[in-house]
Amino acid sequence: MSTVTASSAPLEDVDLGEAAVADGWSTVVWNDPVNLMSYVTYVFRSYFGYSTARAETLMRQVHEDGQATVSRGNREQMEIDVQAMHGYGLWATVQPGAP
Amino acid sequence: MQGFRREGDAYVARLDAAERAVLLDVVDDVVGLLTEGGPSSVARGRAAAAHPLDALRMEAEDVRAPTDPALRRLLPDASVDPEVTAEFRRLTEGDLRTAKTDHLLRLRATLMAASLDVVVVPSEAPRIAAALTDVRLVVSERLEVRNDADADALYHLIGTDPEPSEAADPRAQVARRFLATVYVVLSLLQESLVELMLEALPEVGPEPG
Repeated sequence: MSTVTASSAPLEDVDLGEAAVADGWSTVVWNDPVNLMSYVTYVFRSYFGYSTARAETLMRQVHEDGQATVSRGNREQMEIDVQAMHGYGLWATVQPGAP
Repeated sequence: MQGFRREGDAYVARLDAAERAVLLDVVDDVVGLLTEGGPSSVARGRAAAAHPLDALRMEAEDVRAPTDPALRRLLPDASVDPEVTAEFRRLTEGDLRTAKTDHLLRLRATLMAASLDVVVVPSEAPRIAAALTDVRLVVSERLEVRNDADADALYHLIGTDPEPSEAADPRAQVARRFLATVYVVLSLLQESLVELMLEALPEVGPEPG
C-alpha cells in the first residue's frame, strides 16, 4: 500500500471539487439466484485478496441482504472493480459515497 | 457425468459424448449472443476498411443496453445512474464482450479436446469457471429463473416424472426439462471446479476492518 503525500502532486493539478469526492466511491455486488456461493467467495478471495473469513462474510451479506459493498476508493478504481466483477459474471455497480 | 476431481496436476471431469455435444451447442449459443448485435469487431473492421478513423468514431458512439434479457445478464448496468451506466458501457462493453467470448472459446476448446475426460489445468480454471457462470446466466434467463426458489425448483424438476397435467404442452415441457438438465449439469461442473480452485488459493491473514 502506498499513500499520496501533498508534495507528490503539483498543486495546480489538484481540483478541489474532485479531491473532495476522490475517495468517496464504492463497488456494490448484488445478489442473483444463479451465482454459486462458493464462486462468489472465490471471486472475493482471488480478485480482492480477502481472507476466507472476510470473503465469506461479504458473500453471505450479498446472499442474505441482497447486496454488499465489497470495495471502496476513487471512482476510477471502483469502475475497474465493477468491470472485473462483470467479467466474473457477478452483477456489480459503482456508487458515489462509501458507506 | 462426473464433476471435477484433482488428478495429478489437473482438474478432471467426465462427460459422455452426448453431454459434451449438448454443452458445446449451448456454449456456441452464448458466443453468438456476445458477438452479434453489439459494437462487433466485424462492423468495426468494415468501418476501418472504409476509413481508419471511422473505427475510432464508432467507439465514441453510445452503446445501448442489450434488449435480450439474457445478454443483459452478461453485460449488466454498472450503476443506478443512467448517465454513469451509459458512459461505462461506451468505455468498457466492447472489452467485456471480448473477454467473455475468449473465456467461452477456451471452454469450447476444452470440451472439444475431451474424449471422456474433460481436463482443465489450474491456470486455466478461472476462465473456465467464468465461462460456466456466463452460460448458466443465459440458460437461467431462458428458464425464467428470478429467485432462489426458481433455481431450486430446477433440481426438483429434473428429479421427477412428468405430471399428467403437463401433457397439455408436452413439447414445451420436454424442452424445459432438457434445459433444466443442462443448467444442473453446468452447475455441478462449476461447483466441483470452484471447490478445487478454493482449495488451491493461498490463505491470507485476517485484515483489519
